[in-house]
Amino acid sequence: MFYLRYLRAELVRRKGRTIVTLLGLALGVGLVITISSLSKGLDDAQAATLDPLGGIGTDLTVTRSAQEDAGGGPLGGGGGRDLVEANQSVITDLSKLGKPGDRFVHDFFLPGTQLTFSQSQAKQIAALDEVAAVSSGLTLQAVHQEGKVPKIVAKIRTGGDRIDITRRIAPPSPAEMEKIQACIEKQGGSGAERGSGGGLGGQQQQQPPPGGGVVIGPGNRDAFAKCLPERMRKFRASITTPRETLQQVLNPPQTDIESESYTIAGVETGDPEMGLVTAAQVTKGRFLSPGREALVSATYAARRSLKVGSTLNLNGTKFKVIGLIDPPLGGQGADVYLPLAQLQKLSGQKGLVNVVLVRANDSSSVGTAERSIESRYAQAQVTSSKQVADRISGSLVDAANLSHDLGLVLSVVAAAAAFALAALLALSSVGKRVRELGTLKALGWTQRRVVRQVAGESLAQGVLGGIAGVALGLLVAAVIDVFGPTLTASSTTGKDSLFGIDQVAQTTSQSVSLTAPTGATILLLGFALAVLGGLLAGAAAALRAARLRPADALRTVE
Amino acid sequence: MSQYELSGVGKSFARGPAIINAVLDVDLTIEAGEFLAIEGPSGSGKTTLLQLLGALDRPSNGRVAFDGRDLAGLRDADLAELRLRSFGFVFQQFNLIPTLTALENVEAKLAPTGLAGSELRERAEAVLAEVGLADRASHLPGHLSGGEQQRVGIARALSVEPRVILADEPTGNLDTTTGSEIIESLAGLAALRGTTVIVATHDVVLADRAPRRLTMRDGRLLTAVAA
Repeated sequence: MFYLRYLRAELVRRKGRTIVTLLGLALGVGLVITISSLSKGLDDAQAATLDPLGGIGTDLTVTRSAQEDAGGGPLGGGGGRDLVEANQSVITDLSKLGKPGDRFVHDFFLPGTQLTFSQSQAKQIAALDEVAAVSSGLTLQAVHQEGKVPKIVAKIRTGGDRIDITRRIAPPSPAEMEKIQACIEKQGGSGAERGSGGGLGGQQQQQPPPGGGVVIGPGNRDAFAKCLPERMRKFRASITTPRETLQQVLNPPQTDIESESYTIAGVETGDPEMGLVTAAQVTKGRFLSPGREALVSATYAARRSLKVGSTLNLNGTKFKVIGLIDPPLGGQGADVYLPLAQLQKLSGQKGLVNVVLVRANDSSSVGTAERSIESRYAQAQVTSSKQVADRISGSLVDAANLSHDLGLVLSVVAAAAAFALAALLALSSVGKRVRELGTLKALGWTQRRVVRQVAGESLAQGVLGGIAGVALGLLVAAVIDVFGPTLTASSTTGKDSLFGIDQVAQTTSQSVSLTAPTGATILLLGFALAVLGGLLAGAAAALRAARLRPADALRTVE
Repeated sequence: MSQYELSGVGKSFARGPAIINAVLDVDLTIEAGEFLAIEGPSGSGKTTLLQLLGALDRPSNGRVAFDGRDLAGLRDADLAELRLRSFGFVFQQFNLIPTLTALENVEAKLAPTGLAGSELRERAEAVLAEVGLADRASHLPGHLSGGEQQRVGIARALSVEPRVILADEPTGNLDTTTGSEIIESLAGLAALRGTTVIVATHDVVLADRAPRRLTMRDGRLLTAVAA
């Protein structure tokens, strides 16, 4: 067909113009595709990491956090005393694990800063009008220890200390006084010799004190002491404690015991769509059912060399690993998940939970539900999805924010630049072809035919530019997929320091390789933009061509 | 009824505040098959008159009738149809499409008539052969000499067997010998077909070859000289 040959000739024989137009369109479309796919990659990463509660089918989480000097009671804050008591169980006498030298494996469980409360509280929350469903859970900090039971007996030598004591005694009776007098005289009383008169003459006699005490002169102290009745001789004494060797149990000493901290959570298995872990997060295997089953996070599984089918031995109870999961950031992510009843039994927390996940009736009732729970339970800590997401930081968040802030603007600028370039080149082309187009009209071409030819050329350039742009976008996306930077998102939970138990605070990080997924939608969008750009450019050019009067066009000197 | 009947035809252009009267009060009658030369210096209005005759423009006043039809009353599409089938233009600058070969330039005139495929190609090749350019059919205009380009222009104008050939300074860009050859070629082919030829030129030698000569000065038609 002649018109297509003419079109092809225009594209092929005006190489410079065609190449510049195609490059402009391709760069614009490629940029739009790259930015859109990067934005989608970030959105996907965000969906997985920045919407942790959404990922577990929840609008709110309710916990009972320890607060200093707070009152007690269910969901009423336990105060520091509760916190210390709750975590006391970890201080365990290792001698109970076996004889010294025996090998032991033991897991200690403690609630950390997230105190437990009765599971019945969850039912009360579920009964609130604004609440559609609840799921309770128990998240515990666990310490896995294994090694040899240490010889924890220490010998301590005690005794040999001199102790001075003073006590009050009854005054001598008249009979005792007579005996004392007689004894002193019998001793030959040096004082009497120095005194005037006989007997105890010369010795300054002193009256006994009102309390019945004996007044003793300094010269005859020894004679006097010998003459005292037996009961009064020992009122001053020194006691020397007997020597003995004690055996004492000490706090767990440093030995070859290896400790490893991890988190463990008990989940209700009734609703796989809502809970501390949901079926959606299972990346391999299946979701929990009641029984001795466990789900483990992919990172913990790698650390402990666990896989689906492995056995997890927790204090003698064997759990079968039935799946691996990828928990979201910021929520109640744990390394190991067990059915709630199993963990309650294992940790001695029967009937207790420390988190309630709440799903509101609809998005508009989330705030009402939050206020309702907070007003009923003064010390309940209610956390919304947004608050959790706000705790997440890192380069992923920065990149996502950048993507949201600049991505759209960049896309629009790139597309507009590509359109403008295409339109300008098309207009310029028509400007240079005025006499040619006038000649076509002189030859008998109708205005419609001329416009169709010009617009067709621009459209063809748009299609070709779109194909080149899509290819360029795919290439850049592939390069990003291979060499793209790794972004991280971090979430710190339980960082409050109470009574020194701040070591349970943990920062969870998740690394996400930046990808640029180029779905059919993005590619079609980029292609459509190029075609649209071509059409717009063609329309602009055709409008100018249509305005040409053949006589004027023929007068134009090229 | 004459082929062309012009009465009181004028064409003016606004150029800023000034009004330029390119053609003023022209009365003219042209019969079918005539070879007519319109001579005059540059700016005398002959090109404008040629464009009015070729339905490339509408007069500001007066009446241009072709085969009894007032061209001013026709729609743009009708004028395009008239230019396509009844008129053939030959330009001083040749006005060939630079991206199309000699053959394709001829096809550009034929294609809107509905011819397609081999029929289109064969017709274009035949006309090119008539002007002696069969072996240059696949060349782009840039690779042809001035005379060859103008012969492509004549072939293009004649390809639809038009009723009128309108040539504006057809030898203006050619040397004398080539110009004479071109005019001989144009006159001979037109005579064979009984085609009316109207040539605008300031070349007296060329004008002398025409049986009928018109002279224009300042937009006015001065004389109608019969050879």
